[in-house]
Amino acid sequence: MINLKFNVNGKDVEITVDDSLRLLDILRDELGLTGTKEGCGIGECGACTVIMNGEAVNSCMILAEQVQNAKVETVENLEKNEVLSKLQDAFLDNGAIQCGFCTTGMLMSSKALLDKNPTPSEEEIKTALEGNLCRCTGYVPILNSVKDAVKKYLHK
Amino acid sequence: MENVIGKRVRRVDGYEKVTGKAIYGDDLKFPGMLYGAVRYTDIPAGKITKLDISHAEKMPGVKAIGLYKDVPGEKKVGPIRRDYLPIVNDEVFFAGDVLAVVAAAAKEQTYAAVDAIRVEYEPIEPLTDIEEAVKPGARLIHPEYKSNIMVHYPLIKGDVEKGFTESDRVIERKYRTGFVEHAYIEPETVTVSPDPTTKGFKVYGSIQNPFTTRKVVALFMGLKLNQVNVFGSTLGGSFGGKDDIINNIACRAALLVKLTGKPVKITYTREDSFKESYKRHPYIMNYKVGFNNDGKLKAMKINILADSGAYSSQTFFVTWRSVVQATGPYEIENVLTDIKGVYTNNTYTAAFRGFGSPQVIFAQESLMDEIAEICGITPLEIRKLNGFKQGSITASGQKLSEHKVSLHQVIQEAVERSNYQEKSEQYKKSNTVSRRNKYGIGLSCSYRGCSLGAEGMDTSSAIVSVQADGSVIVFTGVNENGQGLRTTFCQVTSEVLGVPLDDITFLEPQTSTITDGGPTVASRGTIVGGNATIQAANIVKERIFEIIKDELKVTKLEETEWKNGYIYRKARNPEIKPVKFSDATEKAYWAGVNLSAYGWFKGPDVNWEEETGQGNAYFTYVYGCHIVETRIDTHTGKIEVEKITAAHDVGKVINRLGAEGQIFGGTTQGMGYGILEDFNIQNGEVKSLNLDEYLIPTIKDIKEIEPILVENPDIYGPFGAKSIGEPTLELTAAAINNSLSFALGKRSYQIPLTLEQVFLGKNIGKPARQSEVVHASNKNKKITPRLSNIKTSSPQNLEEALQKLVNGKFIPLAGGTDIVVQARHKTESLNLLNIFSFPEMKGIKETGDKITIGAATTFTEIINNDIIKREFPLLVKACSLIGSNQIRNRATIGGNIVNAAPCADSVPPLIVYQANLHLRSLKNERIIPISEFIERHYKTIIQPDEILTAITISKLPDKKYYHSYYQLGRRNAVNITRMSISVMLSFDENNKIDECYIVDGSLFSRSQRITAVEKALIGRPLNEQTISSAEKPLAKKIESEIGGRWSAEYKKPVFINLFKDALEEINLEKRNSEKVSFKDSYI
Repeated sequence: MINLKFNVNGKDVEITVDDSLRLLDILRDELGLTGTKEGCGIGECGACTVIMNGEAVNSCMILAEQVQNAKVETVENLEKNEVLSKLQDAFLDNGAIQCGFCTTGMLMSSKALLDKNPTPSEEEIKTALEGNLCRCTGYVPILNSVKDAVKKYLHK
Repeated sequence: MENVIGKRVRRVDGYEKVTGKAIYGDDLKFPGMLYGAVRYTDIPAGKITKLDISHAEKMPGVKAIGLYKDVPGEKKVGPIRRDYLPIVNDEVFFAGDVLAVVAAAAKEQTYAAVDAIRVEYEPIEPLTDIEEAVKPGARLIHPEYKSNIMVHYPLIKGDVEKGFTESDRVIERKYRTGFVEHAYIEPETVTVSPDPTTKGFKVYGSIQNPFTTRKVVALFMGLKLNQVNVFGSTLGGSFGGKDDIINNIACRAALLVKLTGKPVKITYTREDSFKESYKRHPYIMNYKVGFNNDGKLKAMKINILADSGAYSSQTFFVTWRSVVQATGPYEIENVLTDIKGVYTNNTYTAAFRGFGSPQVIFAQESLMDEIAEICGITPLEIRKLNGFKQGSITASGQKLSEHKVSLHQVIQEAVERSNYQEKSEQYKKSNTVSRRNKYGIGLSCSYRGCSLGAEGMDTSSAIVSVQADGSVIVFTGVNENGQGLRTTFCQVTSEVLGVPLDDITFLEPQTSTITDGGPTVASRGTIVGGNATIQAANIVKERIFEIIKDELKVTKLEETEWKNGYIYRKARNPEIKPVKFSDATEKAYWAGVNLSAYGWFKGPDVNWEEETGQGNAYFTYVYGCHIVETRIDTHTGKIEVEKITAAHDVGKVINRLGAEGQIFGGTTQGMGYGILEDFNIQNGEVKSLNLDEYLIPTIKDIKEIEPILVENPDIYGPFGAKSIGEPTLELTAAAINNSLSFALGKRSYQIPLTLEQVFLGKNIGKPARQSEVVHASNKNKKITPRLSNIKTSSPQNLEEALQKLVNGKFIPLAGGTDIVVQARHKTESLNLLNIFSFPEMKGIKETGDKITIGAATTFTEIINNDIIKREFPLLVKACSLIGSNQIRNRATIGGNIVNAAPCADSVPPLIVYQANLHLRSLKNERIIPISEFIERHYKTIIQPDEILTAITISKLPDKKYYHSYYQLGRRNAVNITRMSISVMLSFDENNKIDECYIVDGSLFSRSQRITAVEKALIGRPLNEQTISSAEKPLAKKIESEIGGRWSAEYKKPVFINLFKDALEEINLEKRNSEKVSFKDSYI
């Protein structure tokens, strides 16, 4: 068992968990943050993407021990005071969501990109999202959403 | 003019999906809930001689193990023929058969118990070839049905033999398609809880067709329909795939609930999903066609075998759609189609978006292009000559007269918008000069029957319930699968009642609250559910009208206009104010008027004559045309889809955003079907078990998709709307194949068009997955992949870590991207030593002429580092193509080297740059050249007490070096590298090669310098002659290293191509611009 201290969405968390748990399990099962999804368990689909210490990561590949003292951000942190983030709004406006199962991972990969690079090129957006599989949308509306969010960011 | 119909509308369930608040099946938890899992068979076919659960039963936390004998109701289920056993008895029929189902208090306990169930078998040689399975005397998969042919549909129109005699030409072609996995991103999940009120169950989960689930669970558990109440959760994708499998999982969960009295959740791993879930049917299709020299089709004889796998499931209906549509949208006087669905020991096959059409469209549209070529006419001309027009008669004798036959319209739209003709000319020209890349443009078109047709009872239900305050609740008997039906039904209601969308909510119904609305399949959701919703809304509307008609001084509903939350007189009168909708409903409420209404839609009559295959198969049809532009790398066989133009007649657009979304998504799946998706099952054993081996398109595989929505309102559709979901997928693969033929001038008769299929004209074997190679000795010991028995420790510093390695057995853990994947396949305890964060093992330092890269430096850090970018461009290029962004954010260069996969992408450039590895143990440091570190795949010389701490590379001498790197993957991102080549050259003052480094990736059992080739190049000028002279030693080396392997047939010629291309690239760079170095251009 590990005594784990880390920060999730701005709140300090202290819990004791089994060594075999992944960050994904801790978020979903221990902390009830079920917005993060499991699609493959081997880092191929990106549905479990969260931001850890500023980087988009697959939370299915991070063992509890490596979460120690980390700063983690999940999809639950995007809406502030009942106002959606520009990214979330752009996803809705552009039809980037169908079944929605990949959506939260897509949002977190996009946010990690925009946090570091507010004016990415199309190729940079694609690279940021290459590890997020979507089976519904054909990606076009997702790409358009991120571009749209970039535009809104620039014009705000 | 409609208010909301046809507009771009945000989905009504979008908010919960972008905030992570939507509740999917696996997000549910109930007090006292147990976790269930299934025990799969270890062999695809055979008798079970012993099933021993005694050990498993006693394991910690285990509450119940459900077996065949425990099933209280019907042991066999199935949508048409009941041949499927959710839990088998004493025989197994395919690799995904379930022997037992276990419930325990914790997931980990369940998996451990599943693995502890011991089984002995008497294996039978699996029968996996459909052509063998239909031969007389073939072993019967299910002897009780007397034949492996479970279904046979003939279709006879005219006299096909006479037609052939009258034709100028007769040709015969054979086409093949493979198994395809739905690959919804959400794996299957079902939770069942006891319902003491009904003495039955409540069922939750990722359910496509709640009413079917209810029926199957009731049957299996020996209950009445009113004892099973199904609540669909938000569904994470289905595409036809969450039907039978979900029902079967629900049966097993219900059994466990019965045995334990507790709620039970079963959530599948991706491996479970791949192993058990049904696929798209592979087809073998023989087309014999007679035509005149002008291209006029005279006769078509089609023989199709469909692999149904071990069970019948939807094969009856899937093959029926094929028999209706097999000749395509063409007028042919004489047709003889014969399709058989066949049992084998393969994974069973059933519904998948398209439902028996993508296969036949691939064949018939490839065939049309070939006939056009034979006749010397264009693909457009042959379709113009033969394509359906208003009043045409289909193969089944149906006259197309009740709807607008828009085949030529959709073709025209697609042709114009894609500039098809200009592009065709342009690509033809390009192909005469371009050697490596060839450009293609291909077209396909189809007609498709909407809804179920004569295959089923076509009815649907909806309830519209208006509240006293004017807000509205809608629910329907068809289901939101992610495609946007909730939004569609809210729009339809909004349009009828004139209520703003914000005032309407969609309620996901329970099966006990609304009548069975039929399955959400066959692109019928909008058409049947929409009609039912309109009917319900109109009933309520009439009742409200009765309340306010006097106030508005009107007598007929037609005299009013309902919009923006008000009811107006059409003939406006300043004296008479419009009535606010919410005032009207308030009045109705107090007047005791029922503002809830039931809508019921029954599809128009259709009919089918089984013996002759004649009849009015569907009540209406849609038409579509795809034009695909591709670039083919003839040196590797890789197809790049540059643009897809997709025109679809949808009748009427309800939500433009949603309709276009269907086109984007469907064409992308169609592209995967055409090129990438190759579910690998060998001799009944499933080899594709996760998304690393079954490749679906990534965002980098999609370039431009242009959706075109053509509107010809249909008399039967809500506001004229028809179908869009399936037509979008069915056309793309055929168009890709036609573009390939255009580009290469030779035809392919099989999809997917893999690298090998394109390059060699055939498919060859598949590599085993990484985890299997690692655990080859455990190959037959099947465990449920999960992480368990892991112990991790985080030493304070490197010294402490090295000390620990002396005292105990540990595996160093850096980024974890390999270890965590591999650990899922081990159950023995693993002691991991976290070395990810030691400062001395992180970062990149420049000291004098040496660059040191800490072994725990991530690939993201490496590819963004200015020193590395300046000094070692090959390393940047190779590392930037590793995995995905998320992987590169965690994976370390040290981990990549020590894991020693033959496809480790950082290794070849490090060999070129002659990197040294620093291996530290407590007492010692060894510095080993990387070329000596890796012995063979997954095997290095590192000792158990050693840690790779750093990689040092000497800066290159101050002279001009030329670099070339190429990585070949099946798709454009997140690849397991198929092959790579790294080349670095420099020249002496006489322009002769004086230094030469050529290293393979994924070709040999470990990456290495190809010294024989280097020797052949040194001392010679770089020109065509030199390049071709090096080909021989390269071929010899490849032959001696991998000549006997399955993959050599492809890898050898392709690697030689890559080698020559790399040198030519350098040659060109050298000649063109001595000034701009590779480094500068890369940065």
